[in-house]
Amino acid sequence: MLFEQILFFLAAAGALAGAVGVVVLRNPFFSVLALVGHLLALAVLFLLLRAEFLAAAQVVVYAGAVMVLYVFVVAYVGGIEEPLGPSAGSLRVLGPVFAAALLVEVAIATVGSGLRAVDSAGPDVTAGFGSPQAIGNLLMLRFLIAFEVASYLLLVAAVAAVVLARRRRGLEEAGGERVYQVGRRPERGPQAADPAAAGTGSPGAEPVGEREPADEAGPAEREPATAGTGASRED
Amino acid sequence: MSSPLAAVSSAAEVSSPGPLWVQLVKAVVIFALVLQLAPTLVWLERRLLGRFQSRLGPNRVGPAGLLQPVADVIKLVSKESSTPTTAVPWMMAIAPVISIGTAVLTLAIIPFGAPGAYGGEFALAGIDVSIGILYFLAFGSLAFYGLLLGGWASGSKYSFLGSMRAAAQLVSYEVAIGLSLLGVAIAAGSLSLVDIVAAQDKVWFVVPQVVGFLIFLVAGFAEAARPPFDLPEADAELVAGYNTEFGGMRFGTFFLAEYLEIIVISAVAAAVFLGGWHGPGPEFLGPTWMFLKMAVLVLLFIWVRATVPRLRYDQLMSLGWKILLPLATLNVLVTATLVVLL
Repeated sequence: MLFEQILFFLAAAGALAGAVGVVVLRNPFFSVLALVGHLLALAVLFLLLRAEFLAAAQVVVYAGAVMVLYVFVVAYVGGIEEPLGPSAGSLRVLGPVFAAALLVEVAIATVGSGLRAVDSAGPDVTAGFGSPQAIGNLLMLRFLIAFEVASYLLLVAAVAAVVLARRRRGLEEAGGERVYQVGRRPERGPQAADPAAAGTGSPGAEPVGEREPADEAGPAEREPATAGTGASRED
Repeated sequence: MSSPLAAVSSAAEVSSPGPLWVQLVKAVVIFALVLQLAPTLVWLERRLLGRFQSRLGPNRVGPAGLLQPVADVIKLVSKESSTPTTAVPWMMAIAPVISIGTAVLTLAIIPFGAPGAYGGEFALAGIDVSIGILYFLAFGSLAFYGLLLGGWASGSKYSFLGSMRAAAQLVSYEVAIGLSLLGVAIAAGSLSLVDIVAAQDKVWFVVPQVVGFLIFLVAGFAEAARPPFDLPEADAELVAGYNTEFGGMRFGTFFLAEYLEIIVISAVAAAVFLGGWHGPGPEFLGPTWMFLKMAVLVLLFIWVRATVPRLRYDQLMSLGWKILLPLATLNVLVTATLVVLL
């Protein structure tokens, strides 16, 4: 179908452009947005492969939840045109080597298996392929163990995130009810406002004083805390 | 943004989409009708808020002020779209488009009548996808980018704070909305909205899933950033939040998207919990019942706005994470257990 072919090339170009943009763009905020665009283009490709459940999950989970937290963090602390440090000498050699190895690997995988399904006729699928029912049957029957293991892994990660977030807030827990004090903002100001102080290119990037000065966990680890407890301290 | 929609319609129809001309008619009718609903809703809200607050509300333009939205739109269209010097202009231009796009696209899956109610085999919905509820959630979560980019690109602290609040709020309540709908999906055995409505021919899901319904309503209020959850644009603190720096029709687009969001959430709630097109009388009355149920829910939105004061930010977060989320999880657990046992 002509329309699907046009759509494929649009989505493929979008996915490639997004992926390149993540690496090339200097401003981390735009990098993250490029990643969002890339994920959305991938979702369209999933749709063209008749995998509508995967496409929806991709948008809900990645573009809608994970990337929101990336954007959230980057908008607060990033958005600055920071000069990257000089790349180390060994990386300069190893980087292309690994990239070439990856390319060879993907090429072998594609030529070896994937190309058989890719022709002008499109994938040959039965009715209901890629629907929630079909995915559910696969997960619950054929891949049950892998599915359960993955869910335990996620559970462990969630508990770990809660533990990490609680430890940083230990003093407050002991102190009982937390009362917001207007006058406390200047105290935390210097540490909290530091990343934003240099931010000429970032519109309105002043943190609102609810960031923890000691940022032990990286942005990725503090995701649940940011959305839940951390952000609740804004006002 | 229209491309995924088209692919969904060709890839994932549950019931027959009908011939091409039917699809075109459906698209135009849904789009035109609901886009007319939004200004009417603005008028209705202003009139009703007036009544709630013992004043008249807009009553000068046209009979009973009915032409007030027209006057507003003419004013907005003819106004200049200004950008602050600190802003990122192109992003300010696309942010309202994202907002309105995601809101309009969600309309496509709302079922307005039983399949075949007006002859033919096709469903009276824009598209009937097997991933219905997920489709709603997907565009609901993408809607956030409109608010965030709008606020961030404005280069103003009020806007930025508003969009950051929107980010945290939408992520928090998205989870509760998803879980509250999961109970219904388990009970109906499908994610397709047409199937879910069809499964309610005996008893509406609001009866067995009353907890889910209440959670969906509360989380829906938060998702639409309506009072008492309008923290992203809390006018007493943030001027107007993420849309502070927007003027003219760009502001109008944000505004329209917000009201469309109310209509979409009411429509999803009516379809999922209140039996959709089911009601007394012959089948072709289905859309009437659907619109009636939507109207009741929309009036609830307005009523609550006039009644309940805005939450504080920490209250909002603890309501979402400590009350709604555990309740919704419990609801899903109980529903799943009952479905397996019975």
